[in-house]
Amino acid sequence: MSNREIKVQNLMKQYSGGVTAVDDVSFSVNSGEIFGFLGPNGAGKSTTIKILTTLALPSGGQATVGGYDVVHEADLVRRIAGVALQDIGLDPLMKSMELLSMQAQLFGATRQQAKTRASELIELVRLTDAVDRRVGTYSGGMRRRLDLALALVHKPDILFLDEPTTGLDPASRRDVWEEVRRLNKELGMTIFLTTQYLEEADELAERIAIIDKGKIAKRGSPAQLKAAVGKESINLAFDSRELAEKARAELSDMADNIQTDRDMVRLYMSQAAQTIPAVVNRLQAAQLNPISLTLTQPTLDDVFLQVTGQRINAEEEKEAAKVG
Amino acid sequence: MTTQVSIQNTINIRRQQGHDKANLLLQIWLVTWRSLTTIFRTPVALFPPLAISIFFLVIYESTLGGAAAFIPNLSGNSYLGFILPLSIVSSSLSGAGIAAQNMVRDIESGYFDKLLLTPISRAALLLGPILAGALILGIQASIVIGVALIMGLESATGFAGLLLVVGLAILLGTGFAGFTVSAALGSGSAAATQGASFIFFPLTFLTASFVPLELLDGWLKTAATFNPITYVLEAMRATLNSGWDAALIWQGVGACLLLGTAMFALAIFALRVRTRRS
Repeated sequence: MSNREIKVQNLMKQYSGGVTAVDDVSFSVNSGEIFGFLGPNGAGKSTTIKILTTLALPSGGQATVGGYDVVHEADLVRRIAGVALQDIGLDPLMKSMELLSMQAQLFGATRQQAKTRASELIELVRLTDAVDRRVGTYSGGMRRRLDLALALVHKPDILFLDEPTTGLDPASRRDVWEEVRRLNKELGMTIFLTTQYLEEADELAERIAIIDKGKIAKRGSPAQLKAAVGKESINLAFDSRELAEKARAELSDMADNIQTDRDMVRLYMSQAAQTIPAVVNRLQAAQLNPISLTLTQPTLDDVFLQVTGQRINAEEEKEAAKVG
Repeated sequence: MTTQVSIQNTINIRRQQGHDKANLLLQIWLVTWRSLTTIFRTPVALFPPLAISIFFLVIYESTLGGAAAFIPNLSGNSYLGFILPLSIVSSSLSGAGIAAQNMVRDIESGYFDKLLLTPISRAALLLGPILAGALILGIQASIVIGVALIMGLESATGFAGLLLVVGLAILLGTGFAGFTVSAALGSGSAAATQGASFIFFPLTFLTASFVPLELLDGWLKTAATFNPITYVLEAMRATLNSGWDAALIWQGVGACLLLGTAMFALAIFALRVRTRRS
């Protein structure tokens, strides 16, 4: 198996005018891993991905992709890396088949091989029905899928996905996730993924790094990061405050910490899910029937909030509020 | 471990030998073909420049053609053969415009960056739209000549002379394209590129546009002497009206090559600036 690692050491990027977009960033991505790179807008995600995919030069430090230096062996990096950038660059006047087979030929395929590969990919991203239409008539989701197909033309060892599901509807987003997982599992592709959606990183990535103001603020598996933030909780709602108080007394020994808030009882503990049956039994024995029971697990959003002091989607919410 | 290393080496060797990358000629062909495809999918953009070239030809011939007998040095020659090259030169300009519009469209859509992520050579990126533009202007020039033939043009050098005129038009247009493509690469904006294309428009008038060079005087004559278009027009006119004149033809070719070399140097510089990984 070829080297499919990404190694980044003390990477720096300063733009003229003294803005430091990437400030002494180091991390490594193992062969065959899905690595999530999270951060708010302007944190340095896109700059990092541009350096790793040879579109920008670092001001300092070192980075290798598949063992090739991104500065001195850019041409070799381009041959083993597939890239789907956030701004989709597709020629609206061309058709998907033409774009794909041309790209395959640029990577050295013969005409026939290129046609075969293009058909495979069109099927893979389910654009068969749209194959005779110009790209300009595609929906956002279709364009993203075609862009992903273009990134896969040369069967890359390492795939860079810059916010691959931004602007997609939930169904298309699930499709992309499924595809990413499949590529990773079946072909052993290393996948470097930037995203603003914590849910996405949680769903896909084995390991995550959170970048904030150009520096890596936190790294680990999604579970580790969430565990570091706080405990899970079982939330019970009752008909009245009295019932809630009774329940609290009844359950006091079952949690590390109990809080009541009007008719709500919150039990904080680790491994809350496993404790639910015992809690339910105890309540039944005391003839206390909650009107609802929910389980809260810390989300990556909580991790993010703790690390960066802001909600990751704050921008978007503001936008939505404006529109609304 | 040893096997793993040796497989890795094989892959490295294969990649370094360039086996998974198209050769330069194929790259240029692919990019040119792509440009042509998009040009032919917006055929509306092709008609106005062609119509204007033909319009100029008809208007100049009808308004000035009758006066041609009074212009010394032109007596005995048809004014149509004299004015046709001007019309063809203006179609060279529009071919250059097409090349640049193609480039700027790719930059705006982001497709240009997409190509940069492939192992494509920078030369192919530059030549693709320029060659496509050259081919289109060759077709346009041929159509304009066809109209002139219908209007009664008689070439003193026959069909071969007409081919030479088209060849000169393509050569000149390629030089112009070096400039307009530089503007596209430098600005990345369609409006700015369009603006830059107009810079050459006055050049078609700062020359022996309507009367032979000898009849010009003062500053206009000075301007015309330094204008490469003058020599291209003279070569075309001689070929159409009086017969083969090697000296004039070489002057015309030389002027095109000089302009082309300068403009391509500019284009390569603009490409380097645009693709500089800053």
